[in-house]
Amino acid sequence: MERLGFRTLVSGRVLLCVLGILARSKVLAEQEGENLSGLSTNPDKGIYAVRENGTTCLMVEFAVRFVVPYDVLALNGIDLITEQSYLALPRGAEIEGKCGSTEAEIHISWKNNAYTLRIYFTKEFRDQENEVWKFSKVQFVYDTSETSNFINAYNPGKHTANSHHLSALVTPAGRSYVCQAQQTLTLISTDHQKGVTVAMSDIQIQPFDINSDFIFSEPFKCITDQRERLEETLPLVLGFILCLIIGITLTVYHFHLKLTAQQQPQLPRDRSMYKNM
Amino acid sequence: MATLIKSKISNKLSNAATTVSNKSQAKVSGMFARMGFQAATNEEAVGFAACDDLDYDHRQGMQMDIMTNDEMGEGSGEMGLDGVDGDTRYQRDGTGPPPSASKDGDLCKELADDRPKITVWEAGWNVTNAIQGMFVLGLPYAILHGGYLGLFLIIFAAVVCCYTGKILIACLYEENEDGQLVRVRDSYVDIANACCAPRFPALGGHIVNVAQIIELVMTCILYVVVSGNLMYNSFPNMPISQKSWAIMATAALLPCAFLKNLKAVSKFSLLCTMAHFVINILVIAYCLSRARDWAWDKVKFYIDVKKFPISIGIIVFSYTSQIFLPSLEGNMNKPSEFHCMMNWTHISACILKGLFALVAYLTWADATKEVITDNLPSTIRAVVNIFLVAKALLSYPLPFFAAVEVLEKSFFQDGGRAVFPDCYGGDGRLKSWGLSLRCGLVVFTLLMAIYVPHFALLMGLTGSLTGAGLCFLLPSLFHLRLLWRKLLWHHVFFDVAIFVIGGICSISGFIHSMEGLIEAYKYNIHD
Repeated sequence: MERLGFRTLVSGRVLLCVLGILARSKVLAEQEGENLSGLSTNPDKGIYAVRENGTTCLMVEFAVRFVVPYDVLALNGIDLITEQSYLALPRGAEIEGKCGSTEAEIHISWKNNAYTLRIYFTKEFRDQENEVWKFSKVQFVYDTSETSNFINAYNPGKHTANSHHLSALVTPAGRSYVCQAQQTLTLISTDHQKGVTVAMSDIQIQPFDINSDFIFSEPFKCITDQRERLEETLPLVLGFILCLIIGITLTVYHFHLKLTAQQQPQLPRDRSMYKNM
Repeated sequence: MATLIKSKISNKLSNAATTVSNKSQAKVSGMFARMGFQAATNEEAVGFAACDDLDYDHRQGMQMDIMTNDEMGEGSGEMGLDGVDGDTRYQRDGTGPPPSASKDGDLCKELADDRPKITVWEAGWNVTNAIQGMFVLGLPYAILHGGYLGLFLIIFAAVVCCYTGKILIACLYEENEDGQLVRVRDSYVDIANACCAPRFPALGGHIVNVAQIIELVMTCILYVVVSGNLMYNSFPNMPISQKSWAIMATAALLPCAFLKNLKAVSKFSLLCTMAHFVINILVIAYCLSRARDWAWDKVKFYIDVKKFPISIGIIVFSYTSQIFLPSLEGNMNKPSEFHCMMNWTHISACILKGLFALVAYLTWADATKEVITDNLPSTIRAVVNIFLVAKALLSYPLPFFAAVEVLEKSFFQDGGRAVFPDCYGGDGRLKSWGLSLRCGLVVFTLLMAIYVPHFALLMGLTGSLTGAGLCFLLPSLFHLRLLWRKLLWHHVFFDVAIFVIGGICSISGFIHSMEGLIEAYKYNIHD
């Protein structure tokens, strides 16, 4: 076991040297998490990967923002006011993860485990032939005693926000999920059942069946993106049709005028038309 | 002998009296002339009107029923009097041109049918279309910030706009030697030219032309924007964006390019007014159903100084119909009924708007939104939205037709006065490139509707300049200038007061629109 762990560490280090990128790795059984956020072009977006046996088995790219409500003591010392704290997932986070054939998970933590985001994926058969993977559970652990984000929290401590009956980002198996638009999930916290909002944008995720190292498989676009594409092309199509209609109308009118031109000589309507007689 | 002496003395006295009065009148006239006011009747114009009547009778006698589209201006135009520009139609007050009595029935009837006259009811629908526009939806919001003063302003604006409409039409007429009123000018441009006649013969006409075109085209674009916006908000789940809806609305509006005369436009205005009534009835009925919760105590007596100017803008500039009045009155069967029509349309608009604004405000009080349909529950809102879209589409023909007329008169006329040849062929039918220009105008309004951001703010900006100018400032100015001799003192007082109030409204509207536009561009607010 130790030798196996040692071997993966060596191969991981070699890979790091070859790619030359900023990464932090942590050994967890046979898998290790890697933070590739330096590759990302978007300053808010992070790239996180879980590697196993020298190849990537889970890759997640997204930009996440959290809205966390917490209680603050009011000025009268008796009432509790609910404040909201806006957090963002930083690029330099620590990754842990586990891959499997039908289940996978990724744990992203930062600020010395004051915050941890855990996402669980499952792969299942929808009908007899369709295999899909999806988010099965999302868990967010936050510590309200952490003063940089939570100011004067009442009863500070660690709270966990879990998802309930979650079935999101359903994607056909063997493909990665891509979405530019924002996806929002609401998690229920152990802190008096408050709702924590998780907003993910600029997403590309693949938890299973990654064929090559650090390369996503065929992308599967979310419905919102498909609609936006339709919304963008529709005005062009409609404009083209409108031009066609105008052109046809003008041509028909022109020929109608020509065909029904009057043969009678025109009596002049005013003196300026005498020159036409 | 005694009688002879008496008659001689009385003659001398009367002569002396007339000379004295003439001299004093001449002095007064001279003084006024130096100040720039019209000192005497525009006798030249009246003279030409009489000439043309004679000519008309002569031609009729020869059984050539020449349409009164006579370009008498050909000869007179060269003489330097630019009070008669463009098409001139001369009518005696109260009657239209006599019916054709020629043997050549068919051709002449066709010529006579070129411009059918509209009845007073149709003129009324057109005016109602203009004054009861889409801005009625913003009136409860105006009451929110204005209170009782806002209500008073609705009534006051109706009175003022009715008065300015009437004085504008009065500027079209001159008294001839018999004391009868003769229509010597035909359009707003003619009035402007007549006012600037001595020193700048064409400057006034150009200014008014530009203002008219801007105002009319902006109104057309606004209707396209509004219909696109309403459809988009009614069907948020469909993947059709606001641009696509605007393109579809324009496709529906393409038949407007075939409009030939005001009668066809009046039919659209009638349908538009009916749609407007339905909307009013729906909203008022819904508000009455919630009559128990009316907040009578929330109607304010004081005004919110920061927000009130917005209310002024919404209320005052919703009564702008003066652009259409000269051509409407010119096309009426019986122009003598014009005053009656103005009174009734403005009274009904005033009552309906006031009732709508008050009732809607009382129902929602402080929660009243900028557009009242946002307050309605979704089922009624969907129905009202459909009728609003219908109303926007049906309101489009009137400003479009007016814009086409203005453009054709200024740029497309035969006879060398304008840049381009006539859009109409010899038999009175529209040439195909004339039709393509009209389609081009429709497409232009579409492109502006799609690509110009923050259109409502831009409209507020131009409206406070051109709208206020054409509705308040210019009519009072022209009335004072042209009819100075005949005005009683209270008329002068009204005109000056309207000019001042119009100027204040215009300036305040301009400042607020500029502020709004600057803020919108700074923060890049998306519509």
